[in-house]
Amino acid sequence: MFQQYQGGSNKVFPEGKVKEIHEASVHLMEKVGVKVHNPRARQIFADQGAQVDHGEAIVKIPRSMLEDAVAAAPSRVLLCGREEKNDLVLEGTNTYLGTGGTVLYTLDLDTGERRPTEVRDVAGYAKMTDALENVAFFVINCYPQDVATEDVDVNRFYHSFANTSKHVMGGIYTMEGLKDVIRMSEEIAGGKANLLARPFVSFITLIMSPLVMEVTYTDFLMEIVRYGLPLTTPAEPLAGATAPVTLAGTVTINNVESLYGLVLAQLIRKGHPTLYGTTSSIMDMVTGTYMAGAIESALINAGCAQMAQYYEIPIYATGGMSDSKIPDCQAGYESAATAMIVALSGANYIHDAFGLLEFCTTLSYEKMVIDNEIVGMALRAVQGIEVNEETIAADIIAEVGPGGNFLAHRHTAGHVRKEFFFPRVADRQMRQDWEASGSKDTAARAKVMAGEILREHRPLGFAEDLEALLRKNYPGIK
Amino acid sequence: MLQEIYSKVLAGEIDGVRSGVQKALDEGTKPSKIINDALIKAMDEVGAKMKSGEMYVPEVLIAAEAMKEGLGLVKPLLEGEAYAVGKVVIGTVAGDLHDIGKNLVTMLLESSGFEVIDLGVDASTEAFLEAAGKHKPQIVGLSALLTTTMASMEATVKALGEKEPKIKTMIGGAPVSQQFADEIGAGGYAPDGASAVDLAKKLIQ
Repeated sequence: MFQQYQGGSNKVFPEGKVKEIHEASVHLMEKVGVKVHNPRARQIFADQGAQVDHGEAIVKIPRSMLEDAVAAAPSRVLLCGREEKNDLVLEGTNTYLGTGGTVLYTLDLDTGERRPTEVRDVAGYAKMTDALENVAFFVINCYPQDVATEDVDVNRFYHSFANTSKHVMGGIYTMEGLKDVIRMSEEIAGGKANLLARPFVSFITLIMSPLVMEVTYTDFLMEIVRYGLPLTTPAEPLAGATAPVTLAGTVTINNVESLYGLVLAQLIRKGHPTLYGTTSSIMDMVTGTYMAGAIESALINAGCAQMAQYYEIPIYATGGMSDSKIPDCQAGYESAATAMIVALSGANYIHDAFGLLEFCTTLSYEKMVIDNEIVGMALRAVQGIEVNEETIAADIIAEVGPGGNFLAHRHTAGHVRKEFFFPRVADRQMRQDWEASGSKDTAARAKVMAGEILREHRPLGFAEDLEALLRKNYPGIK
Repeated sequence: MLQEIYSKVLAGEIDGVRSGVQKALDEGTKPSKIINDALIKAMDEVGAKMKSGEMYVPEVLIAAEAMKEGLGLVKPLLEGEAYAVGKVVIGTVAGDLHDIGKNLVTMLLESSGFEVIDLGVDASTEAFLEAAGKHKPQIVGLSALLTTTMASMEATVKALGEKEPKIKTMIGGAPVSQQFADEIGAGGYAPDGASAVDLAKKLIQ
């Protein structure tokens, strides 16, 4: 099992308000509905009792349908790694953070220049994920611009599986690609039954804001649910643009949207492992563009976590990004503030928390290293303070007595490694030593560490014959 | 009276703009003067304030709405006088339903005096060609959010280049870039709403 911490100490609105948001959501589902463009999905809703206007493509769902779906959706979802030490249990306020983005650009580690992402970056970031101890999972974070559209899905997942044994989740681009990825996963697992028993791969299908389910994403949703692999149905309402500017309104609309995806999944297969989801943020009101590092994004995500905890369904959320173009101070403070708030809210599966810059359009290898430290601090905060007889240590205090010191005491040596967070990126040297090491700033130190990981880390990879089989079956793999 | 209309537009006060425009018309002010010296001039200042960060997007849009209300009173009286700075056909390309960015650009273009024909979302190459042939715009704007629909954008830009070579194309959306615009032969690229308006003004010349 991967390291587990219990979050949930930070509530962004009083617990009593959860019901208000829930009731407002039910009202919207019953009276306003969602535009479901996919006719096959509309039929599924209609057959099971939703009010469907095929002409307008509007689906309104009754309270009872929502309640049944929430009850049926599992409260505990297992997302496996290809190695058991990387298994994740999504439940309650178990908190994990991982990658995300599906960006088109990366800062080049050597030159610092922004360049298009390629297959080698899918592999590189998967490898970074595998090596960095606080990254719990790999949501495939870039789009390889050096392969044809029909080969994108199979390349993204193949190079992810090849370079990390942590859980891999991703969006998909074509139906054929989805089917290839599922088939490839079966071959790696040694058959469908093995794959479903220990799902090391899962998927993301988005709901559009405000209140729209689009054709292709819905087709993907139905295919994945029918097959049986875990799925999240996140929405990305932008406060002030595709959602009310007031954050409670954004949480409400996200609640409606994500639950519609979850309801459809449960109607197709009752008990399907479905994650509630949000990637919500704001529109910047100066430029009229999406922002990734805004503090409001963290608040909305934390608010959605409270809703998901009320429904007792695990949540896929977002945090830890920055809008800076480089891994500088802005990158540090935006990522730290947002990661901390969302981690403390107890969101189970917080993606986008490593490596992201520039409105979630650009990755940086150095930033992954820096974020590993930021997330380490956030997880330490999530752990809180353990209070018991041993940690209060009254007897030790008495023993050391007035004017004594604790440095050499057995108790200190016995607890320090578990009690303190040991940063590796932060420079804690005295000034003269820092100068002697070259007076390096954070990004420069992180660059060295990233280079070392890419050169030296050896992920699990594939056995020779499996690799040969996969390359033969999927010639589109670069 | 023109000054009053101007300040009411800036404040986004619809009723104030309507009554101001009505008073100006009653006083005999030429419709085109009301449009150019009060309504559009006010929106020019709004645009400048938006660029400097003094006014935020929602405030800009409320001002634009007030301007549009005033314009609605004056337009029927124009008698063949063209008021539009230019004409733009805009849409989100085939396969893509995302439109918040396109809608923002549309609103900002209209508030700068452009006439905009909005094709909505999931607009096919044929729909763009038909609108281009029918409305004869100077500019066609294309928007896409999904990486997968960039191919539709390329197809439409190429078709427009062949069938309507005089029309300038401009593109926008999260996955596109100046480089992509150059690759597919588009006339220009803008990263956000305000620069889209600047680009449109430039392409019109």
